[in-house]
Amino acid sequence: MIYLDSAATTLQKPSAVALASARAIRQLASPGRGGHRPAMAASETAFACREEAARLFHVPSPEQVVFTFNATHGLNIAIKTLVRPGSRVVISGYEHNAVTRPLHAMEGVEVRVAVSPLFDQRAALEAFRRELADRPDAVICTHVSNVFGFVLPIENIAALCRERGVPLIVDASQSAGCLPLDFQTLGADFIAMPGHKGLYGPQGTGLLLCGREPAPLLEGGTGSESLNQDMPAFLPDRLEAGTHNIAGIAGLLEGLRYLNRRGVDGIAAHERRLIRQMGVGLSALPGLRVFLSREESAQTGVLSFVMENKDCEVLGETLGDRGFALRAGLHCAPLAHKTAGTLDTGTVRASVSCFNTDQEIFQFLRAMRGLASGQ
Amino acid sequence: MLYYLIICRSLTYAQRTAAALERAGITARILRSPKSIAGEGCSHSVKISQRSLPDALLVLQRAELSPKRIFITAGDGSYQEVEL
Repeated sequence: MIYLDSAATTLQKPSAVALASARAIRQLASPGRGGHRPAMAASETAFACREEAARLFHVPSPEQVVFTFNATHGLNIAIKTLVRPGSRVVISGYEHNAVTRPLHAMEGVEVRVAVSPLFDQRAALEAFRRELADRPDAVICTHVSNVFGFVLPIENIAALCRERGVPLIVDASQSAGCLPLDFQTLGADFIAMPGHKGLYGPQGTGLLLCGREPAPLLEGGTGSESLNQDMPAFLPDRLEAGTHNIAGIAGLLEGLRYLNRRGVDGIAAHERRLIRQMGVGLSALPGLRVFLSREESAQTGVLSFVMENKDCEVLGETLGDRGFALRAGLHCAPLAHKTAGTLDTGTVRASVSCFNTDQEIFQFLRAMRGLASGQ
Repeated sequence: MLYYLIICRSLTYAQRTAAALERAGITARILRSPKSIAGEGCSHSVKISQRSLPDALLVLQRAELSPKRIFITAGDGSYQEVEL
């Protein structure tokens, strides 16, 4: 099986990730719950993970790095901190349901979409500039579209938000570990990310980087201030009620160490090169519509395509039968498909990680050539 | 042997405190705060030797890690708060 679905979950991980998770199950207890050796060893692992993440994303203090169960969890905390009934919120045209559903579930929230054409970063910035004119209560923007790999100009959007004093939530689900991401430079209020994609951690892990005081989504035990019936006022305890996923965190720590050692810039270049190779190869095939940016910098290691007269799910299944793991459909992002004009058809999405190779892309293109010629 | 317990607001804060002290060459150990001095319930402390306190306070001030409270103890179950 050639795995091309890293935008959902990276399957190939650094070998230390699984080893650390397995070791954690055997040897680590709960951080902050007891002074015995297994509890303290778990505390050290959790702290090391926060420090490693703070280093990768330039977060001033490890206390601002909060463990979540996935990016959706972090986004819900961030959204429910900043958005209230009656709020006006601006989002990009490429948001995932992890953003649009929490907004939809809140009564009386006015959501404005900063619509812009696919791969046009300048137009995206202008759309945000227009929507920010009357100072909304919050901006929520994905860094990279999970469907098309389109890189939103998040640094410029963040600068606009700072100028106008508008709080910003960044969904870094597709950029964390795949593109450089600087928490301090962006000045975002919250950045949410999963641990199991570009950070190469296990499923069930995520991080929320906090630039302001958040409202807890869950209340419960934290191993601190137990007499106080309010959640602690300080991070990370304020957001980490209940037992941690320490086996996941131990694996995530190794994923983060791998990224800090290898460097995100090199990974970004590798993934972009592979996806461009794939995009150019697919574009040469008859009956295929390939969503490849002209500008290399406007796309990451994610590529969508549609085959004429072929249902995307059927094509995805056919590819699966031939040994290629890709995801088809709407990718939980109907808004992105609506913006790009693919809501009716959906797309087949290929997404790479730093572990994919030129040879794998070559094999995939060979299989696609066969399918395009009716074999 | 006399030693000091630096009470911290959270485990992570205690870990930051201990890390800053260790980086400065001061031996620091994190432990659960004794219940009698834990304040609002469970908390964590950083244990340092008696002779390390002046240097430790300097290091923590530079690192902007202000201790919540500090207690001195001989390990016999009695704790006396130190004025900061």
